[in-house]
Amino acid sequence: MSKNDEILVKVSHMTKKFGDLLVLNDISFDVRKGEFMCVVGPTGCGKTTFLNCLTKLGVYQLTSGEILINGEPVDLAKHNVSYIFQEYSAFPWQTVEENVAYGLKIKKWPKDKIEKQVSEMLDMVGLTEYRKYYPSQLSASMLQRVSIARAFATQPDLLLMDEPYGQLDNSLRYKLEDELIKLWQHTGTTVIFITHNIEEAVYLSERILVLTNKPTGIKKEIVNDLPRPRDVTDVAFNKLRDEVTDLIKWW
Amino acid sequence: MKKKRFDPEKTIYAVVAIACFFVLWWFLTTFTPVKNTTPDPIAVLKLLFESFYTPIGSKVITGHLLVSLRRVLVGFGVATVLGIILGIAMGTSKWASAIFKPIFELLRPIPPIAWISLVILFFGIGETSKYILCGIGAFTNVTLNAYTGAQNVDPELVGCARMLGTSERDIFFRVVLPSCTPQIFAGMQVALSTSWMAVLAAEMVGAQEGCGWMIQRGSDTLNITLVMVGMIVIGLVGMLLATLMRAIERRLCSWNIMEG
Ligand SMILES: Nc1ncnc2c1ncn2[C@@H]1O[C@H](COP(=O)(O)OP(=O)(O)O)[C@@H](O)[C@H]1O
Ligand SMILES: [Mg+2]
Repeated sequence: MSKNDEILVKVSHMTKKFGDLLVLNDISFDVRKGEFMCVVGPTGCGKTTFLNCLTKLGVYQLTSGEILINGEPVDLAKHNVSYIFQEYSAFPWQTVEENVAYGLKIKKWPKDKIEKQVSEMLDMVGLTEYRKYYPSQLSASMLQRVSIARAFATQPDLLLMDEPYGQLDNSLRYKLEDELIKLWQHTGTTVIFITHNIEEAVYLSERILVLTNKPTGIKKEIVNDLPRPRDVTDVAFNKLRDEVTDLIKWW
Repeated sequence: MKKKRFDPEKTIYAVVAIACFFVLWWFLTTFTPVKNTTPDPIAVLKLLFESFYTPIGSKVITGHLLVSLRRVLVGFGVATVLGIILGIAMGTSKWASAIFKPIFELLRPIPPIAWISLVILFFGIGETSKYILCGIGAFTNVTLNAYTGAQNVDPELVGCARMLGTSERDIFFRVVLPSCTPQIFAGMQVALSTSWMAVLAAEMVGAQEGCGWMIQRGSDTLNITLVMVGMIVIGLVGMLLATLMRAIERRLCSWNIMEG
């Protein structure tokens, strides 16, 4: 969208080892503010590890190199980052609406605004009639929609998505992809979107980062300036999709 | 999500079973040699009703009951709070676990009754000793369950909460504690009945009031009717406490129960 040259995320010489296992091998790239970037790579190449290192969740610290947001080391209290995990991660002791409202309560939104935002988000992911349900009563795809609504609700500056639609059926996926694009265009959020699905990457992204097998490096960076709204039957679309598919044939 | 409704069939069975029990008791204490040692149910029920207005020792029966309940609730309450703190500390911190786990494992198998002499030696026969004895049984159960619960907190959920801006201090109250709540409640169930048993033991040695004292008094004066009144009250109250705990659990942990 925005032809902004300002860099939001700067990854330099990112290296991560688990013991002797070299997973991320000296990777460098930038993400511009407002950009929609997709990352594709084989299973186990370290895509999830990258996001965990970016957010410094748990034991994940880079072995060497650094990741900066706005030129500073990542600080979740300061940088408004949302992360949609590969596995659904709704809080089981909260209802659907409480889950979606969680981040807003933490960020001390006023009550009426929380209510409005939650309703909007639930409407977007189609869970309005399930708002009083607990996660144990929902199906897998509904659970993932809860996580998505919860992450979008806080209107993050940086949205990290780890194969979020992998377990959803196609029609819902298309709908949520379009919703995501709309949200991204509307809010100017920067998105890093990890996926297995090449068509999905071509449909969504402005830039595609293709990763190699372990030890993982960048195979190629592809600029995707197909006009929006995109059409999966379009010739140019298919050309780009085939180009990416060729790159990853060796997986 | 179906709620358990009142089940008439089960209620009939329950009433019939209890009636049979009383008939059998009455039969044995009227027509067999058991009558020489054991009072019949009518005598016991009569004394039970009398004891509501005729004091046994210093108090009527409700007085004794309240004394025992107070001891249990204080001991159980304090022990529950301490148990949750220690259990969660052991479950979340390697250091706390390394330090406290061995001691805890060693003390855990010792039942409250085994502590009586030592506690009386240190704290005398006053109320403090009673509280402590009630607390010991509750403490181990709650600690153990809180520990298991805290160990099993989903790291993904913690990550998620952090991601949504939860401070490290709030993680405890917003994620760790709610995650462990079902486990802790299961521990509290057992803890409460252990406390209730412990208070009786504590009151049978060196007390002037309470349900345990009543039984001891009956035993000392060869008043078996009084002993049995004490037993019935203990049974009823114990059952009531367990039911109450289950009701509270159902309210607080409905999200977990619905899974079934
Ligand atoms: N905590 C960890 N400890 C040890 N190895 C890990 C850990 N997390 C991930 N790995 C390893 O790192 C590699 C990359 O994992 P991951 O980032 O989950 O891959 P992807 O998300 O691309 O499928 C895998 O080989 C995995 O076994
Ligand atoms: Mg992954």
